[in-house]
Amino acid sequence: MLNTEGFRAPVLEATNISKSFGTVPVLFSLSMDLRPGEVHALIGENGAGKSTFMKVLAGFHQPTKGRIKLDGQEIALPPNGEAEALGVVLIHQELNLAEQMTVEENVFLGRELSRFGVLDRAKMRETVQGYLDQVGLTISPTDRVSDLSIAEKQMVEIVKAISRNARVLVMDEPTAVLTEAETEMFFEQVRRLKDSGVSIMFVSHKLAEVEAISDRVTVLRDGHWITTAATTDLNTETMAQLMVGRELSDLFPPMNEVDVDARIMLGVENLNTASCKDISFDLKRGEILGFSGLVGSGRSALFEAIVGLDPILSGQIIYEGRAFKPTSVAKARDSGIVYLTKDRKDKGLLLNQQMQPNLTLLSLAKFAGALGVDWKAEAEALARATRRFDIRAKTEDSLVGNLSGGNQQKLLLAKVMEAEPKVLIVDEPTRGIDVGTKQQIYHFLAALALEGVSIIVISSEMPEIIGMSHRVIVMREGEIAGELSGNDINEQEIMRYAAGLKSRSMA
Amino acid sequence: MSNVNTQQAAPKPPFRLDIKAVGPLVALILLCILGYVLNPAFASEGNLTNILTRSAFIGIIAVGATFVITAGGIDLSVGSMAAVISGVMIITMNSAIETFGSGLTTVILGCGCSVILGLGAGFINGLLTTKGKIEAFIVTLGTMGIFRSLVTYFADGGTLALDFDIRGVYRPVYYGDFLGLPIPIWVFACVALIGWFLLNRTTFGRYCTAIGSNEGVAKYSAVNVDRIKTMTYVIQGLCVSLATIIYVPRLGSASASTGVLWELEAIAAVIIGGTVLKGGYGRIGGTVIGALILTTIGNILNLTDLVSNYLNGTMQGLIIIIAVWLQRGPWQKQASGQT
Amino acid sequence: MKTLAKLSAALLLGMTGAAHAQDRIKIGVSYPTPTHAWASGMNWHAEQAEKRLEELHPNVDLILINSPDPASQASALEDLVSVHNIDALVVLPFESEPLTDPVLQVKQTGALITVVDRGLSQPGIEDIYVAGNNPELGRVSAEYMMTRLESGDNIVILRGIPTLIDNERFDAFMETIEGSGINVLDHKHANWNRDDGYEVMQDFLSRFDDIDAVWAQDDDIAIGVVAALEEAGRTGDGMFVVGGAGMKETIKGIMDGDELVPVDVLYPPSMIATAMDVTVNAFTSNGPVAGRYILGATLIDKSNAESFYFPDSPF
Repeated sequence: MLNTEGFRAPVLEATNISKSFGTVPVLFSLSMDLRPGEVHALIGENGAGKSTFMKVLAGFHQPTKGRIKLDGQEIALPPNGEAEALGVVLIHQELNLAEQMTVEENVFLGRELSRFGVLDRAKMRETVQGYLDQVGLTISPTDRVSDLSIAEKQMVEIVKAISRNARVLVMDEPTAVLTEAETEMFFEQVRRLKDSGVSIMFVSHKLAEVEAISDRVTVLRDGHWITTAATTDLNTETMAQLMVGRELSDLFPPMNEVDVDARIMLGVENLNTASCKDISFDLKRGEILGFSGLVGSGRSALFEAIVGLDPILSGQIIYEGRAFKPTSVAKARDSGIVYLTKDRKDKGLLLNQQMQPNLTLLSLAKFAGALGVDWKAEAEALARATRRFDIRAKTEDSLVGNLSGGNQQKLLLAKVMEAEPKVLIVDEPTRGIDVGTKQQIYHFLAALALEGVSIIVISSEMPEIIGMSHRVIVMREGEIAGELSGNDINEQEIMRYAAGLKSRSMA
Repeated sequence: MSNVNTQQAAPKPPFRLDIKAVGPLVALILLCILGYVLNPAFASEGNLTNILTRSAFIGIIAVGATFVITAGGIDLSVGSMAAVISGVMIITMNSAIETFGSGLTTVILGCGCSVILGLGAGFINGLLTTKGKIEAFIVTLGTMGIFRSLVTYFADGGTLALDFDIRGVYRPVYYGDFLGLPIPIWVFACVALIGWFLLNRTTFGRYCTAIGSNEGVAKYSAVNVDRIKTMTYVIQGLCVSLATIIYVPRLGSASASTGVLWELEAIAAVIIGGTVLKGGYGRIGGTVIGALILTTIGNILNLTDLVSNYLNGTMQGLIIIIAVWLQRGPWQKQASGQT
Repeated sequence: MKTLAKLSAALLLGMTGAAHAQDRIKIGVSYPTPTHAWASGMNWHAEQAEKRLEELHPNVDLILINSPDPASQASALEDLVSVHNIDALVVLPFESEPLTDPVLQVKQTGALITVVDRGLSQPGIEDIYVAGNNPELGRVSAEYMMTRLESGDNIVILRGIPTLIDNERFDAFMETIEGSGINVLDHKHANWNRDDGYEVMQDFLSRFDDIDAVWAQDDDIAIGVVAALEEAGRTGDGMFVVGGAGMKETIKGIMDGDELVPVDVLYPPSMIATAMDVTVNAFTSNGPVAGRYILGATLIDKSNAESFYFPDSPF
């Protein structure tokens, strides 16, 4: 995949970049270069300084020390995204699209085409349609962004970048929220961009993807440069080791078999909701049950109904041997069923609040006494949780929005655990977090199961489902497509059910 | 990113001195110094009591508004609500004289009527916002117009006046003293204290903050969003009714011009006090100071003839903006290191 | 008031038949929505006049419309022309400037124009002008003050909403007391509002130890002033308050011999009724009715209060 001409002059080159926020140093003398037509992956654990480094490279942060060269010329990149004019475009992890505007309006935002002072909508629409065709995206330029899926929004961001003649595209975890199929489509686009000479730098926690798509890899650890190497010289194993700086023992903890006569905690019979049809399954005490399927297959909707967020149309739920009607999240919580949402930022955590109110929000009643909420008990709970889940924050009163993704996820897990659940439902528990934190979470979940908590893991990451689950249920279009256990749990089987090549009746 | 030392996670101090809290206080102190320099009569006991008493109306309403705004709502109807409640109170008391005489019973009846109306009006605002799924701005803009025109209708476009016999009994509620301080100041202080406790020390207050921060998160965290939001409007209604109960004995009348723009003054007091207009952060103490600042500006302008009468609005506007700037000034650096 | 009555009677007698009595005569009456007591008094008088005139002249149709702001009043005028096809317009403009042009549009349809209370900013549009006398109100108030006060006495003034009306009253007052030796300690706007009157007066009381009288300019403000005076216990020593407009409660007080508010200066809300009378006369009588009718600002005291007392009016 490397350029056949061999070494070409780098388009963007950073030398000895250091960056501090106030007195806190974050980056220590980092150097790297980006060649034309290269896909360069930036990997590292949460908190390694990847996002900060990318923002420096795209002009959003000014380096405290060090030089940046663009096309061989030393340059101070203008702040606030104005570097886009120079062809350096950063696509943020939180997409920067105006939700209420159309695709076309977003692509041309800030540089609208006009004729005689009037917006030339026809021309803009045509241009955008051209780009969409090029990307192979089947949405219309007049679609409202808020109506698009996350993957589609991401593609719109890329279209926006292409339309600005981006020569350097910097992407922060572009595949974090994409399904496998969407990721494949995205890679297709990356290859096309690369062939047209665009240089791409991206952060990813999905090492298999890094291996598949990148030409070179740069590894950061704790703000230091560790290495830059051709991808062909590495594999996922070595990458992970470079990131954590130690030998990674198995990512997944050893699987403990469920007691054969463990009692059934949760039984679902013929459940129907607005988006789920005729769902039946059982969950035993201490069991980890995986739910796999494509995005939109109804997994989240099913469990949101089970915890009382969505109405149940028919069917019944048996919980601890008794019929259970989930009328509210509070009732589910009080009974011991909690749900950890996949949407950490919009449904999971209050980003503009500190950790303490976040930690106790779900179980606040527990902290309330006659004299109101017991701040002292809350603070003790936070101290316990930071220890137990190894949550790292600059200070105790840091806003949650300023924590790294992994620490946010651990805090979210701590939050649901404050409710002391007997049935824990985790939806995409490791989305967008580094491998070290993933490992911590897997081990934590396994330990919990051993203590007798029943766990449901919903995940789009195949290895996670396979590595964690005692049994796997695959959903497709709101129905259960199949159930796998033991040695049948493998990627091929799951995919065949998920894609509809095989169904329960055929099995 | 350094690891916080989890061992020393001692209970947080309940009071923390940050610029958000101190800013409005600094503004108020500066304003008082200015007032004293311009006219030493500013610091007279009588004048200070006047300021405190006068702040009570807007202040009590603003305490309620702090809940609504913290939970991400807004209530534009409070001024009109105060007017219509005053009006109905006066009508009720006037017509109750025949049955109950012009004694305490009638006054208590009037006050009871006020509380019921306040709770009811707040409940309607809340219900339309939550169950009706209409933006709070629109709901309360609508009820604002309804309440305002109702009082105009009840007063036949004119003024409703409380019967003179009852005024004698009711008068002490505004003009009376307790331990040397006028009753309205006591009511204001009690409302503020209870408000502070509710917002800072109860699950209800925490839920208000959570909803204002992010309704989705609150919903997923087992918070009954609709009920809490409705409750904030009910509290707002109750605060309006309390303010009305001490307002009516002052002049014994209500008209279509009663309480005009009180909603904006209450919202201004809340924001000056450091509560965030889009929700998620509320401060009762700040609101109290905000209300005091607003009243003090008006008082100082009356005590001097430094600026043209026509520029009163300019002075008020400037001071409001400066007060808010003091808490959000550029010195508020926030190290925002993240990866 | 009396002169006016004589005038209209004369007009009525001097005219015969009905020049315009083709079929029905439609007269639009447009004024601001009553949001304060004076305006609602005006509304009441307008409604009374409508009833009375329509009974008296079966072929006259009066259409009353009130509007909450200048823009909607302009639209209301358009509707009166396009929907009702009016023959005459009686208008109390919200504000002079923005309504001058809309009234001119109505005039161009051939309608007779009667302007009440507030003049338009361009002369010659109205055929008939009926107004209270704002400078006269200031002058009469000042003259009364001068009869009760001596040189060296101190007064404070609570003004209305900063507008032309307020300025006319205030300037005439100041002109009249000039040279009398009466000190005006300060003047602040109390916006013709009871609450503002109360608060401004409270502050005047903390600021000035020696106040002998208060010109409140308006009866609503005066109510607030009286409450503040009573609260501070400064009602004695011959202290008195002069309001204005002719609110029924104030007039009742004067009839009963109130010493704190012994007089009132009339600025009658019934002027709209007068204007309607004159306008109807223009159609039912034969002679010229065009011209300017300026109502007096009568000083109401115990001797004449009874004739200005309308217990049924809201004002």
